Amino acid sequence: MSIRTFRYGDRGTVISVSGTVPRVDARCWTREWNVSSSMDKEVIIGQLQNLFDGKDVNHDFLGQRAELIVDEMLENALYSAPRDTEGKPLFIKGCVRELLADEKITLRCAFDGKQLLLEISDSWGNLAPETVELFLSLNDNDTDPESDRAGRGLFILWKFLDYFYVNINPGVDTTMGGVLSLFPVIVEKGE
Amino acid sequence: MDLEFKFEIHKDSMGDNIRFYGNIDSHSEQPFEELSRKITGKRVVMDFSNTLRINSMGIAILLRSIKHIKSEKKSEIAIIGENKTNAMLFKITGVYTLTSQHAQF
Repeated sequence: MSIRTFRYGDRGTVISVSGTVPRVDARCWTREWNVSSSMDKEVIIGQLQNLFDGKDVNHDFLGQRAELIVDEMLENALYSAPRDTEGKPLFIKGCVRELLADEKITLRCAFDGKQLLLEISDSWGNLAPETVELFLSLNDNDTDPESDRAGRGLFILWKFLDYFYVNINPGVDTTMGGVLSLFPVIVEKGE
Repeated sequence: MDLEFKFEIHKDSMGDNIRFYGNIDSHSEQPFEELSRKITGKRVVMDFSNTLRINSMGIAILLRSIKHIKSEKKSEIAIIGENKTNAMLFKITGVYTLTSQHAQF
């Protein structure tokens, strides 16, 4: 596993697992959602699904992967990111919740016909670079799969996305994202 | 297709055939506990043909259920019908290491 971490003063920390900045054509289709409640998850996924469903097998496969990635991104932003001063989660996974008054979650996507960029930001900035590295390495061993292993969601994002990156501005915001290809190299990503 | 998770068990002389429907996520925990109690066969086939999305919470629940069935019921488990995305997911999270046979992709 190759993880590169860049810290630059008060602008936060960028963790780039693939070491490359995602490139999506600037003229592509884009969409942004400002999440207000956990109930928005299935609505957003449904809208994303409509983009790809039924065109051909490649678009169907892209749509399936996009649904999973957006699910994991939103679950992370809704339930893992919000923490109290002692670092304990504020919300139980799966509970119905509205966003707090000063909380913001934004999901962005851009599609240029071949590559789909997915990115999410939350207004917590609670993730630490060391935690990202720990979660990825913990889960990078499938020979003895523990059922309740921490960080599996992040690991799934890393395995499915090309150019996976996490940008942490401590106590302010966390942004993570990456690219899904219409024609993925399954041998590399799926093994 | 209905997103809500449910399952059906068909028992025959070969064992228990379980068909999963909908999404497998944090809301599936209780049905999976019920599922584990209902398994009696020594050969269990899990059919994911009608399963939609499985997220990381769903994988945790699925792994827990498979381990429980294997240790408590001494059953062998096979997986069939998974789509390409769920096959990738099963491979990277180790689900396939606990099952006796599975579809290749």
